[in-house]
Amino acid sequence: MTLEPGESTVITMLIAILPIFITAYILYLVRAIRGPTIADTVLAIDAFFFDVTVFVAVLGLIFKQPIMMVVAMLFALWAYALDVYVAKYLERGEMGD
Amino acid sequence: MYMWLNISKEVKWVINTILIYLGWVLLLIGAVADLIAAIGLNRFPKFFVRLHAATIGTIGGAFYPLLGVALIAFGAEFVGPYRFFMGGAALVTAFLILLLAPAGSHALARAAHRSKLVKPEPVVVDHLEEDGGGE
Repeated sequence: MTLEPGESTVITMLIAILPIFITAYILYLVRAIRGPTIADTVLAIDAFFFDVTVFVAVLGLIFKQPIMMVVAMLFALWAYALDVYVAKYLERGEMGD
Repeated sequence: MYMWLNISKEVKWVINTILIYLGWVLLLIGAVADLIAAIGLNRFPKFFVRLHAATIGTIGGAFYPLLGVALIAFGAEFVGPYRFFMGGAALVTAFLILLLAPAGSHALARAAHRSKLVKPEPVVVDHLEEDGGGE
């Protein structure tokens, strides 16, 4: 009774997902470069880094390195910090207080 | 995970298989939502319309796949003894994204409106323009 998918099967299933993510990343970067205003660029970079989080987590499963999840968590927090800083700068025009 | 439950090896196989396939389906849904969000971010005409696509890209494209990564890490025994650390960290990151992504998008949209960087047009009535958002 070998019902459980083996190691090579799971890794093949994970690698089959990755081209969809990479296509989405290229489209996000196209919007980030083309964006007419700074708000469009920041929105595209924000969505891009929330999804780089997922990409790093899947790579951690493929390479069997669970410590890569720590880096993924930092990516998510950094994207939120970028949003808040740019919003503060646009609203007040300064970064002091 | 199952050593204190005293269950047989066949039941363990079934549980691991269900976890892996359920996580993979969540990962596939997240990848497709991510692609749809990227296409929408390029096709939509204005900034306030592109915020809808960005919502799909963060909640559907980052929250669901991280839940899937957590389930796969719980089920796949080849990852090693630290796979529960990875699954727990993936769950924590998923709920951080669920809380932080709408807050960041909202702050960015409000700042873009208040600084008059992006004009919301066509518009019928704009209460945020009239009373300054309650300030």
